[in-house]
Amino acid sequence: MTAPAALELQNVVRRFGAVVAVNNVSLTVGKGEFVTLLGPSGSGKTSTLRLVGGFEELDGGAILLDGQRIDHLPAYRRDTATIFQSGALFPHKTVAENVAYGLRMRKVPKDEIGRRIAEALDVVRLKGFEARYPAQLSGGQKQRVALARSLAVRPAILLFDEPLSALDLSLRLQLRAEIKRLHDELKFSAIYVTHDQGEAMAMSSRVAVMNAGAIEQIDTPETVFHAPSSEFVYTFIGESCCLPLRIDGPDLRDRAGNPVPLALGERPADGECRLYVRPSRLRLAGEAASLPNRLEARIHFIEFLGDVYRYHLKAGALELAADHAGSIGHGVGDVIAIGWRNEDMRLFR
Amino acid sequence: MTAAARSDDAAFAAQRAAQERRKALAPWLLMLPALIIVLLFFGLPTLYMVRMSFNLHFDQRLYVPGFTFEHYINLFSNPLFTGAILTTVKLALVASLATVAIGYCFALLVWLKPARWRLLFIGLALAPLLISEIAIIFGWWMFFPKNGLLSYALLSAGLIHDKVSLMYTEFAAFVGLVYVTLPYCFFILLSIFDGIDKRLLEASADLGAPPVRTFREVMLPLTWTGILVAFSQSFIWTMGTYATPSALGPDTLWTMGFLIQEQMLGKHNWPMASALAVVLVAGVAAVMILTRSMQSERNSFHV
Repeated sequence: MTAPAALELQNVVRRFGAVVAVNNVSLTVGKGEFVTLLGPSGSGKTSTLRLVGGFEELDGGAILLDGQRIDHLPAYRRDTATIFQSGALFPHKTVAENVAYGLRMRKVPKDEIGRRIAEALDVVRLKGFEARYPAQLSGGQKQRVALARSLAVRPAILLFDEPLSALDLSLRLQLRAEIKRLHDELKFSAIYVTHDQGEAMAMSSRVAVMNAGAIEQIDTPETVFHAPSSEFVYTFIGESCCLPLRIDGPDLRDRAGNPVPLALGERPADGECRLYVRPSRLRLAGEAASLPNRLEARIHFIEFLGDVYRYHLKAGALELAADHAGSIGHGVGDVIAIGWRNEDMRLFR
Repeated sequence: MTAAARSDDAAFAAQRAAQERRKALAPWLLMLPALIIVLLFFGLPTLYMVRMSFNLHFDQRLYVPGFTFEHYINLFSNPLFTGAILTTVKLALVASLATVAIGYCFALLVWLKPARWRLLFIGLALAPLLISEIAIIFGWWMFFPKNGLLSYALLSAGLIHDKVSLMYTEFAAFVGLVYVTLPYCFFILLSIFDGIDKRLLEASADLGAPPVRTFREVMLPLTWTGILVAFSQSFIWTMGTYATPSALGPDTLWTMGFLIQEQMLGKHNWPMASALAVVLVAGVAAVMILTRSMQSERNSFHV
């Protein structure tokens, strides 16, 4: 018999009035696995996490922690630990007292508590901050304390509720790397909720993309990125251009009726469809010459994004955006070639 | 350095100094109107009252200028007065504790409930403040007597077999006092609750604390300042108020407020009334200092 998964959700349902926030979600998190719930706001990812933590009541299905059903237990009887977006540190307790809180509730012996506080603060690199109050810490330090407080109780699963979304970019990247390092070192099981694809890609063993209360796709970050199972996943997981097309035998036209001379590899079935490409995979001017899918497009405007220039182009009724490192020697109003490989596009209908 | 540059430096330093002086003066200027009002209409009369309490009193004359400790000695030796002090403190203490307890539960409920209930509860709490204390007393007069609402309600509910009157009892005085101070207590506590992140309750439960433990470890310490402030304001109010306890309580309920009124208007003994008032003010001040000292430093971190 194999060991039970760290966490298992079976057909979990949560309704708020007439709205189904979590619609029949099933999910298994293996021991030591880091699973991210990725989705826009209102997709049910936070509700799912709160159901596991015990802050919401289940309307259907079951939740198993280490093979034991926990959905009937109140939050304080569940062996989970949440890192909240706001940190939710106790403002009247010092850093050490905050970290000790969960240990005291679990009736860990005093000397052991001292050891574990030191260990947890060491792990999040906040040694020497024991006597500080939360108000005396920066945003990033607060989240580290929150992490230490949750790690110290050594829960069966850690629940991250968008812990980095309130921080500025550089701090977010730094803490993201740190959480990844901690996971590699400590091998804890975790569910991480975020709306930031970058975070999801960088940290996860697996990513579950959620939409309208359901999981659209769950797989490794690479697979989700390269082989998105649906139009929603494709558009959510990275930047994309949408080309609405009408296929009628060999005839290919945009919505305005202009002919579109694209090869499209295998000829798809007739009807309305949407073709997607990613700005980073598009080639411009001379680089587009040998590619199977090619259009002549007029440069509409150019954005400088730091690493790349983004060329916004128009070809008939189609609008495209292409990234190019450095200038291509053409300005607004010029007509240039734009092209991409067959494997860099996706067709949805 | 040239002479011109030096004189520029000197002018600059002078301007800086003037700026500093203005900065130091600004808070005093801003406080001035309030300070004048407080000193003129509160400080001065209080001082005058203290002076009055040492004046002499003979016959039916309101007061005779002089200096005597007679009224204070009388106040602390006459069982009529010591009894009144004790009654007042006891009534104020019990009423304030009850007010804080009820107000705390009410504010906690409003804080925990979804926002759409909030306005309704706040409206309910505001309603008594729109009615004068006298009108409220008339309301109680319809509520407590033998043929009043309470008696009728209890009888119809089958809880009692004979009509009862709670009018002119210490209980009625107690209820009246709680009712008057409750709205203030509620708003003070609600403002404190509103400063607390509700996620803290979840964080506490998440770390394994049952509700009672969460209350003791998180809610109570974070609201302690509010409890003390709400208690002091209730206590000050119930110590000093005169109309409600004398209108609802028994004739024998001699509170300090009642005695001050009686000494002043009935006995024409202004020095005695002043002495009572001084003791009242001193007692209230002592309680305020005590509650202030019970506020721990840590509470300042909660915002």
